Amino acid sequence: MENEFTTVGKRVVRSDSLAKVTGEACYTADIKLPGMLAAKVLRSPYPHAKILRIDLKRALKVPGVKAAISGFDTYGIKWGVFRYTKDHPMLPTDKVRYIGEDVAAVAAVDEETALEALSHIRVDYEPLPAVFDPEEAMQEGAPQIHKEFTNNINIHVNIDVGKVDEAMNKAFLVREDTFKAAGEAYAMKEPYAVVASYKNGFLDLWMPNAGPHVRAKALSNLLKMPLNRVRIRHINSGGAFGGRSEVSPGDLIASFLSIKAGRPVKLVLSREENATSTRQVHDIIATVKTGMKKDGTIVAKDYRAVYDGGAYSSTGPIATSIPFYVYEECYRFRNVRYNGYRVFTNKGIRGMYGCHGRAFLAGNEAQMDFMAKELGMDPVEIRLKNGLTSGEVTATKSKITSCGLKETIQKASEKTGFKKKWARTQRFKGIGMGCVAMMCGFPMGFRSGSSCYVKMNEDGQVTLVTGVIDNGQGNESLAIQVASEVLGVPMEDINLVNADTEATNLDPGSYSQASTFVGANAVKVACENARRKIVAIAAQKLGVKEADIGLKDRMAYSRKTPDNKMRISWAAREAFFRGEPIVGTGSFFPKIDFEREWVSRPWGQMAGTFSFGTSVAEVAIDSETGKVSIPHFTAAHDCGRPINPMAVEGQMEGSIQQAGVATIMEGNLWEGGFLLNPDLLEYKVPLACDMPDIETIIVSSRDPEGPFGAKEGGLTIRMNAHSAVACAVSNATGTVFRELPLTPDRVLNALQRKKGVKR
Amino acid sequence: MILPKFEYKSAENIAKAIAFYERYNGKIRYLAGGTDLIPLVKLRLSTPMAIIDLKEIEGLKAISHQGGWLVIGANVTLFELKNNNTVKEYFPALYESLDATSCETLQMRGTIGGNILQNTRCLLYNQSLEWRTARGFCFKMGGETCNVVPNARACFSNYCSDNALSLMALSASVKLVGPRGERKMPLEKIFSGDGRNPFTLMPGEILTEILIPMKRSKGAYEKLRVRDSIDYPLLGVGVSTKGNAGRVCVGGIGPSPLVYNLKDINESAFKDVAEKAYSDARPVSNTTLSPDYRKKMVSVLIQRASKKALQEGK
Ligand SMILES: Cc1cc2nc3c(=O)[nH]c(=O)nc-3n(C[C@@H](O)[C@@H](O)[C@H](O)COP(=O)(O)OP(=O)(O)OC[C@H]3O[C@@H](n4cnc5c(N)ncnc54)[C@H](O)[C@@H]3O)c2cc1C
Ligand code: SF4
Repeated sequence: MENEFTTVGKRVVRSDSLAKVTGEACYTADIKLPGMLAAKVLRSPYPHAKILRIDLKRALKVPGVKAAISGFDTYGIKWGVFRYTKDHPMLPTDKVRYIGEDVAAVAAVDEETALEALSHIRVDYEPLPAVFDPEEAMQEGAPQIHKEFTNNINIHVNIDVGKVDEAMNKAFLVREDTFKAAGEAYAMKEPYAVVASYKNGFLDLWMPNAGPHVRAKALSNLLKMPLNRVRIRHINSGGAFGGRSEVSPGDLIASFLSIKAGRPVKLVLSREENATSTRQVHDIIATVKTGMKKDGTIVAKDYRAVYDGGAYSSTGPIATSIPFYVYEECYRFRNVRYNGYRVFTNKGIRGMYGCHGRAFLAGNEAQMDFMAKELGMDPVEIRLKNGLTSGEVTATKSKITSCGLKETIQKASEKTGFKKKWARTQRFKGIGMGCVAMMCGFPMGFRSGSSCYVKMNEDGQVTLVTGVIDNGQGNESLAIQVASEVLGVPMEDINLVNADTEATNLDPGSYSQASTFVGANAVKVACENARRKIVAIAAQKLGVKEADIGLKDRMAYSRKTPDNKMRISWAAREAFFRGEPIVGTGSFFPKIDFEREWVSRPWGQMAGTFSFGTSVAEVAIDSETGKVSIPHFTAAHDCGRPINPMAVEGQMEGSIQQAGVATIMEGNLWEGGFLLNPDLLEYKVPLACDMPDIETIIVSSRDPEGPFGAKEGGLTIRMNAHSAVACAVSNATGTVFRELPLTPDRVLNALQRKKGVKR
Repeated sequence: MILPKFEYKSAENIAKAIAFYERYNGKIRYLAGGTDLIPLVKLRLSTPMAIIDLKEIEGLKAISHQGGWLVIGANVTLFELKNNNTVKEYFPALYESLDATSCETLQMRGTIGGNILQNTRCLLYNQSLEWRTARGFCFKMGGETCNVVPNARACFSNYCSDNALSLMALSASVKLVGPRGERKMPLEKIFSGDGRNPFTLMPGEILTEILIPMKRSKGAYEKLRVRDSIDYPLLGVGVSTKGNAGRVCVGGIGPSPLVYNLKDINESAFKDVAEKAYSDARPVSNTTLSPDYRKKMVSVLIQRASKKALQEGK
């Protein structure tokens, strides 16, 4: 892609790639500190039980054990993302609410000793009746998991816009379907790990996280320590996908153990613990009722979605809302009602997920295809007809400033010959399309903005300081690339200091798709401020106007007479002479409606901008076994201007695996409160051999506010790839899917169901 | 998850291995590639006092032709066997099952002996000690019940070797050497039918050789799995025919495979077996896919494998 820039828009090698592919990159479990202890956690064997007593005495007597704690050793402060969701004690003292919940912990000289000590902790429980199904949990008389939440209803999001019933009555075509989906596992490569080191009244922590500043604040509250004494340090992260946004019990446990033992403590969870006891993804039941005009215009939508939230609130209000929003940010709904319920059950805690809401989103899209067919339309036409365009306002009053939805639909369908393939419906072959929009950031109060500090050193090299964090998406490289562009020095000349609460400023973190739109914008502003100082000196020295100065390849030069040039490092030294070094700060704060609240006021501007995308899956079904394969997958993404197209494509490809191919295999399996597949053998993450041929198409609308016109890269595909696959399978079987994942047994049933209908 | 403590001994020959067995009063496990054993030890499903490594025993690493048999040492890796020309040319069913075993990385480590003697599996069994303690021990762990089928008297764990099925279809035999001497028997005789203790091997016995009659065969192996690599079979079917004789073996359901001798080599003979196997198969709810579905697939996969076997060479 040619453009006027030196590095922006170019396929550059990410700054973190080399260390990661050579194994040099350091992760939390790699950290070794002098005197460091190993921690282990004792977990609840009951889905629901009263804690009568916890006795640590015998564990403390095991030689080599340096500290042991239970909830009785903490301040008993409950964690919650919102004021109204503070329900998670981290180490409970009243009762346990799921199998695998943290109950007590020890720190010892090594892992073996710690394990041995765990077996000497005595906990007396009184088992209580438990409930595992959210619909049952909502019934009167079901076991109550939290007394503050009647009928286990944790969150109820109610949105009601226009006149739904009236419009539905007048609609030409109405259809209602119910869709179910099993919750997924995040299956990050890196099981959760924390290192805590308490020294001289300061607590340093390392862990994979999606926002160091919010983590530090939460911990300072839970530990009753001043914020400046809790420091989250930079470390590489082996994946988050939405599952590492909040403070976790492990953070608190490692911290308390380190404080007690006076030595650094490392806690590394097993694969099983990572699956049962960190975060899981919501199981969902979504009922979708849609009314359409004869011409395919959606006139009314009526939703009821039930989210199995597990034992605690976590990011509940957000999780209960997001599937609805990413859909209403994509299509025009004049009359829409959404009742989203997040319900407590005695299962692991459910968090936000990069592919969150597949029953709801894929359900909507598959239903739309079948309604279109009844009206003599196809999926492309109906999506173009109802899709939002630039300048429009969503049902809940968010203005769309830049929108390439239409282009993504057109390009993806042209590339795949969609219309023809969809109409032909070869036996046991199918094609399907999924669309969605994605908010780039959402309201998080004063944490919604980001700030950056940059300085140029005497040799013209640069130090960039930003709160932006990287969970594997390439955010660090992105920040460096933006700075490189603005300052005219190559990426390798830029050292990044990031995601370290001691050194960096507030940043929204990497869970609301704000890293590019907000974080990189702040980097750009800071670098522009520094650039101005370089330009002023260079203009003086070269005897040209400031407007004539360009910066490139470590040189400042006159654009009119490029031979008239000097090293940028000279400008840096000159600046030191003048006592005014080249430094700059910059911030970016998105234009969001801060009155907006997930439950109490669900309307107003959600984000500074929105990205868009269309996925198209082509599937083939083995008619005898029901096994689905996905030979081709095409994704078109409006990410604004791609800063690094290769990184955006990587995100799109990852999304196709994690959301798209996962649609035919991934799902947590339960027996009551027992997770049956807390491993990577029986939890089926798609393998290389299961992957389709992938075609990625970047549609670059230029966002007026985004850094160099950029928005968000990849998550849009993560939120619609499941729809494409579910629609394609529905297209192939001739019947709307009912439940995800689309494992062979379910698909075979669908084929037989269809046969039954046709006779 | 860390391993518990155990002694590690490497044996240079069979006699030394058996001597170690005796020295540790039988509280040992033999180790080949370790791909089955080590996960079991990590989960505390096996807690040997000592692990006796057989990998250094030269005699167990060879493939040879002896008096009308292909003789395969127990320590030959799956990968080596897969790339053996005789296997490719003579035993297509075995070639296909080897190729379908997990992934190539595992095939390079896992041995054919270990593959045959791998423990049976169950979603409620292959779990950590903490998980199983919370759930309560079942028959196979020394408990009083089956956690999958309430009130059952037996364990329904699944035998998941792909290659034992094709080997039995090829009428393979095995040679065992133990403290009480040496014996040879048809492969199907090593299965006890009891999921708690699936093999009839006597304490301390070592599997030394697998012997396949050297006769060109036609055949195929069909495997049901969710992902196209790594996954164990949810059902496996090996079919092999030589002249007018042939066998169909069904595994991945229950602790011992089903073996059927074909009366004739034609479509209807296969159909009869498919029907018989369908009614014999008793899958229970202990894998990631439903028992009904796995049962249905028994006849589908037999028909598929038989079609391939019949077509071949035409
Ligand atoms: C992720 C994964 C996926 C897998 N998928 C498949 C699959 O798809 N299909 C399949 O068939 N298998 C599969 N397996 C099982 C795999 O362990 C075997 O295929 C492998 O061949 C075992 O060989 P090994 O040498 O590693 O056995 P080991 O683990 O060394 O031994 C297995 C058992 O046999 C005993 N043993 C080994 N050699 C001898 C001997 N000579 N005499 C007496 N006892 C002996 C050991 O004590 C142990 O009990 C999978 C395993 C894993 C970990
Ligand atoms: S089938 Fe029953 S007895 Fe056998 S391992 Fe599974 S739960 Fe245990």
